[in-house]
Amino acid sequence: MHGFHDRLLHVDLSTRRHHWQETGESRLRAFLGGIGLGTSLLYDFAPPGVDPVGPDNPLILASAPLAGTGLTTTAKYAVVTKSPLTGFIADSLSSSHFALALKAAGVDAVVIAGRARAPSYLFVDNDGVELRDARHLWGRSAAGAEAAIRGELGGDVRVAAVGAAGENGVRFATISNEGRHAGRGGVGAVMGSKNLKAVALSGGARVSVADPEGVAAAADVLRRRSLGEHTAKYREIGTVANLAAFDRLGALPTRNFQQPTFAGADGLSGESLTENSFSRRHGCASCTIRCERLFKSLSGNEQRMEYETLFALGPLCGLEDPEAVLEAARLCDEHGLDSISTGGTLAWAMECVEQGLLPEAGDLRFGSAEAVLAAIPAIAERRGVGDLLAEGSRRAALALGHGSLDWAMQVKGLELPGYEPRSLKTMALGLAVSPRGACHNRSGAYEADFSGAVDRLSSEPGRGALVAASEDFAAAQDSLIVCKFLRRCFDDFYAEAADLLAKVTGWDYSADELRRAAERIHTLKRWFNQREGWRPEDDGLPPRVLTEALATGVARGTRLTAEELQAMIRDYYGARRWDESGRIPEARLKELGLPASHGGAWAHGR
Amino acid sequence: MTGESDKVGSAVVLAGGKSSRMGRPKAMLPFGGEPLIVHVVRRLGLLFPDVVVVAAPGQELPELPVTLVRDDVAYQGPVGGIVYGLRASGSAAGYVTSCDVPFLSLPLVSHMASRLPGHDVVVPYWEGRPQPLHAVYRRSVLPLLEGQLERGELRPVFLYDKVRTLKVEEDEIRTVDPDGSSFFNMNTPEDYSAALARWERTAMDTLPDRCEVELLGAARLRARTSRVSLDLPQSATLAQVLSALALELPALVGPVITETRDGLTAGHVCNLNGRDFVRDASRPVEPGDRLLIMSSDAGG
Repeated sequence: MHGFHDRLLHVDLSTRRHHWQETGESRLRAFLGGIGLGTSLLYDFAPPGVDPVGPDNPLILASAPLAGTGLTTTAKYAVVTKSPLTGFIADSLSSSHFALALKAAGVDAVVIAGRARAPSYLFVDNDGVELRDARHLWGRSAAGAEAAIRGELGGDVRVAAVGAAGENGVRFATISNEGRHAGRGGVGAVMGSKNLKAVALSGGARVSVADPEGVAAAADVLRRRSLGEHTAKYREIGTVANLAAFDRLGALPTRNFQQPTFAGADGLSGESLTENSFSRRHGCASCTIRCERLFKSLSGNEQRMEYETLFALGPLCGLEDPEAVLEAARLCDEHGLDSISTGGTLAWAMECVEQGLLPEAGDLRFGSAEAVLAAIPAIAERRGVGDLLAEGSRRAALALGHGSLDWAMQVKGLELPGYEPRSLKTMALGLAVSPRGACHNRSGAYEADFSGAVDRLSSEPGRGALVAASEDFAAAQDSLIVCKFLRRCFDDFYAEAADLLAKVTGWDYSADELRRAAERIHTLKRWFNQREGWRPEDDGLPPRVLTEALATGVARGTRLTAEELQAMIRDYYGARRWDESGRIPEARLKELGLPASHGGAWAHGR
Repeated sequence: MTGESDKVGSAVVLAGGKSSRMGRPKAMLPFGGEPLIVHVVRRLGLLFPDVVVVAAPGQELPELPVTLVRDDVAYQGPVGGIVYGLRASGSAAGYVTSCDVPFLSLPLVSHMASRLPGHDVVVPYWEGRPQPLHAVYRRSVLPLLEGQLERGELRPVFLYDKVRTLKVEEDEIRTVDPDGSSFFNMNTPEDYSAALARWERTAMDTLPDRCEVELLGAARLRARTSRVSLDLPQSATLAQVLSALALELPALVGPVITETRDGLTAGHVCNLNGRDFVRDASRPVEPGDRLLIMSSDAGG
């Protein structure tokens, strides 16, 4: 088989045993790799109703067919598990050398179950699988553990690890490698719950490609396109550019979504950061775009910054000072916290404090940098009020009561990213129905709003189809895997990507088959959620979004009513050909080759 | 449906009044460093491809990008001016105004023009009185006005009963020109002083014949500036604004503005007033509009 190893590694941490299993060509054709392969393995290997932080919840690291081929932006891998934050699927991506190492480890995916008796890390070296003592690493940052393990095993080893947040079961903890994070949904808490500090990989397994010359030629074309005007933003300023633009468009969530504009936007903008604090540009392995920006704080620290982190720790919490936001971001990285959920949960707590609730949060108010910088380590270590906040905004609000769920800005338990739903109504639908919860990565529904193709302040039938198409597009990219920042470099994505896949695997693979795979992958995520207890009311948006008009900015006065959202959701279910309550009819599952009942595993099961 | 054209393609500016109480020609009164007539003509040029100025014989005027006509006979009052102006105009209907309107509201002018279908004259009533020099006239009423001129009926209102005249009431006017600033005109040196004071108060930040361009993201980094204020060419389109921007900030040509200087590269997009994303470069840009130039890729 080209493009894959046709081999899965199963590790049971409880018994310290492992075994290998064929992946199977039909599974790979149906689900590709990355998010798709991870989803299919989760469906098969997670016992229905499994406790996300119990030993039986599998933690799946999945490689992808394009990884290791040299195609730009393809050094990526997926982490898939059942989320301790949402109770539904968590599917996160990370990238760079660890992703290449996973491919070179000779597996298509690693499925980790059980719980180690003592803090451990997993080392996979060609055919050797070893569970090693990590007691000396417990309590260290992910980056610290990464460096220590590479010191122990050699510089060729690549490591993904959790920080204190993962160890302590913070429900929005990340797994990180080389400063990149599999960020959303609390995958780090699952890893920590297994007493697993890190996964270390070393290996020299090569994957053949079916048409090396064809792949090289395609790589050359993509590389050239990746340096063209379609990626100018990512190359020249990075995602931090969004902050000022969203402010001008009335789409920048501020002070826990109380406003869509931020008075401090200019000082905190990506443009200002670049002009005042730029340190250097960085890129993932195998990437020609190199979108990452590092900024230098006054204290001399170099800190990566992306829009989502900037928004969540800045405007969302009312912080204006770039120094404070850079430091808050550094603390999130050091402790292994999802910066979006951290900011979202802190903003919820700030509003509680303003309402006279949550006295133990002290001076945690909008704009209080000092309180934010103190709260982040407290969350990671579950100290004081940090123990409550470590649960994420939804659980914390359910525990606190007093109506505070109304201002917990989350969907399915996952905190909202930096896109104001009321002024981006296609995105509003995308956030409401995403299997992962409020997510801006597993669909790019905002693209319709920002393109002028639709009126972003109103809605009409047809948005459902736009969102479904965007989800499928994301599923294809996330499973092949190519970076989304390359998405506009294709003239006809499905045709060109299917051709790439054919060149790598030697399969006869058409654009239509890729489209079907994407739809299958998305549908299986949803089918997994349905198995895990999804109810129609889980698709929706927080009450604030549906009851309050936008208070400031160009879209001031704009509302999104519950009826409007429901109409869009029904339109979406229609576009998906699901029933009116959002459940997937058996016929649809069969059409897509998915199991129509939860009794048995995917045909290629365990 | 009559099949008649409802396009109001011309503006007619009557500049040849006596200005007797003012003591000097109103058209030449300085506003913001230029004669008032220049200012009025430039603003009307934003809405109308064809601007006609009607001046008195021998009247001194600055160089203007207009069709200039002279009254055959000086000081025949507004009907004469309207007749000479409509005759010289090149379209089916014209908006007629005087030269002493420093605060002319273009939204009002557009609104008046939009009300023409089904009528021959559209005239606003402000404070109970008709405003014949803020009105739209079809060219087809010319014979009637010429008759009036022959008979010495020098007031335009005599026309209104004879043709399909739409009277636009004050409530409607206020929806587009809330304080009726368009109807502020000047007859005495005191009026001029008051106008200058008002001009100073309001003009600086909202120069209505300019548009503000804010550069965001990579465009800002390349231009090394975030805001530019541009003079709008007549009947400005987005393409013309971009062309003016290219002159002001040549560093944008290539990466942000196309080499042909009439559009944006695929990586960039223009947003108007924070509201609409504009891809069509022929889209009109109104005075006072704020253009945002940003990355066309909002993700991440």
